[in-house]
Amino acid sequence: MNEESKLKSLVLDALTIAVLALVLLPIIWVFIASIRPDADIMTRSLIPTRITFDHFANIFARADFLVALRNSLLVGGIVAICTVLIAIPAAYSLSRFTYLGRDFIGFLILATQMLPAVAVLVPIVIIIRSLGMANTLTALTFTHLALGLPIAVWMLKGYIDAVPRELEEASIIDGSSQLGAMFRITLPLIRPAVVAVGTFAFVLSWGEFILALALITSAEVKTLPLALQTLFDPYSFSWGVVMAGGVVIAMPTIILFLLFRNQLVGGLTAGGIKG
Amino acid sequence: MAGPFESAPMTAPASDTEPRPFGDIALPYALVAPAVVVALAIAVVPLLYALWLSFQDWYLLRNPQPVWGGLINYQALFADAALWRAFWRTWIWTIGTVAVEIAIALPLALLLNRDTAIARMASALILLPWVMPFIVLGYGWRFLLDSEVGALHSVFQFFGVAGNSSILNDPNMALAIIIFISGWKGMPFMVLALLAALKSIPGELYEAAAIDGASPWQRFVTITLPSIQNTMLIIGLVLGILAFYSFDLPWIMTRGGPQDATTVLGISMYKAVFTDLRPAYAAAISVVMLAILAVASFFSLKLGRRK
Repeated sequence: MNEESKLKSLVLDALTIAVLALVLLPIIWVFIASIRPDADIMTRSLIPTRITFDHFANIFARADFLVALRNSLLVGGIVAICTVLIAIPAAYSLSRFTYLGRDFIGFLILATQMLPAVAVLVPIVIIIRSLGMANTLTALTFTHLALGLPIAVWMLKGYIDAVPRELEEASIIDGSSQLGAMFRITLPLIRPAVVAVGTFAFVLSWGEFILALALITSAEVKTLPLALQTLFDPYSFSWGVVMAGGVVIAMPTIILFLLFRNQLVGGLTAGGIKG
Repeated sequence: MAGPFESAPMTAPASDTEPRPFGDIALPYALVAPAVVVALAIAVVPLLYALWLSFQDWYLLRNPQPVWGGLINYQALFADAALWRAFWRTWIWTIGTVAVEIAIALPLALLLNRDTAIARMASALILLPWVMPFIVLGYGWRFLLDSEVGALHSVFQFFGVAGNSSILNDPNMALAIIIFISGWKGMPFMVLALLAALKSIPGELYEAAAIDGASPWQRFVTITLPSIQNTMLIIGLVLGILAFYSFDLPWIMTRGGPQDATTVLGISMYKAVFTDLRPAYAAAISVVMLAILAVASFFSLKLGRRK
């Protein structure tokens, strides 16, 4: 009986690996293509002859790609910081106080999460254009705030709920203000969640496509997803280079995801459904 | 996460004897204000503006400023044959995407619902299609399907599915394959939800069924399926709403082509603004899409309550 279930478990594990490899094959293929010489890619041969990092050297030698990399880091970084700075007090307010309109405000913030970017694309683009802010990273950064902020508020609220309020009350009796108690007691306790939420906001901004596509046309403010499109140069086009660009965009997402998997999975199941 | 507002109010000492100073009342509002401002600026104001805009007559080639047009956009919208085709195509797209998601996710979730190191690792890695940006996955699939270098294209060619040109150039096949890719991208979320539902089924149920001599298939139909069908329904609706608003994937893969074959409503709307320069018309499309989303959300909430 035991032997049999062990064998069954082994067979199922092997099947799991095979199915997983099949499901992830398109992603694996991108990574493989990024380190294959163009000659190998063109002949469609499945057997690799050698590994090359030429494609990566190629894209990192391109000025437009480097500008886009800088822009994406800038936008993503600011979005992450602002998301955290706005979400912490909001989550604290929703968690620790009772006041008129609190439930409605909580609902309003959550509802923004449910709203797909496509639904508000037209009005947002027209408003930003009429403000003369098309083709600015400021406008893009502001719209990207909406990507991760609602889920950040709700995740942090969950974590703050879990911090016993007696800890803060003790601090308040010792003479600190409520905000002081928040900074000194609660914030250090929820720090891992804060880092996860900031990371999440960064990743969402990093890969965001449609708002960038609609708001940005000039090369100097393009973000990486837009720059990847320009790698489809009709004259000197290489699949290897495009795939290497894809890997550069995918890498932070994958690394940060694997680092913060547990928090993110919690966030996803809590209603964070913006893909 | 626990229910949203379960925490009791923080009791300030002596608050019942003296009135609370204004600062105490304003503090929670001040703390939540920036988040509310962002929500207003990025969701509420644009939605109201879109509603107003949808009643304007604003065709950039004719009049540079919007003028009141009443129902002109909605009339045009109902008479727009291409838009109607996009509308029905979007339903095919949405239902197809969710069907693919369930078809891949259900067997995967059953396979991953075991407590071994491999299964745990696989449940983490399976999320990759969900977390990776559309642009990377879209180009990855275009590479696979490319007629000159695509590995998958070779396979399709071998089985006679594709000719010399990529199936992305064939209107029917392009829609089918991009629906499949859309479902593949969204499937991990369903796996995640189904795994959570599967783990909550008490093991005694299966033991009792095994003692009664139920076959694995009978156990699946009488125990597993009823326990996860609510999750499947609700997550299916959520993913369906997302699919209904698709833009990135069909745009990156084919820009809505060939011959509008993959033009879903999101792409129609985008083209109405940026190609046809009819922002008010595009606003009307997004208002109609939103009305559909509201109806769908209403039903999904209703189903959720019934659970």
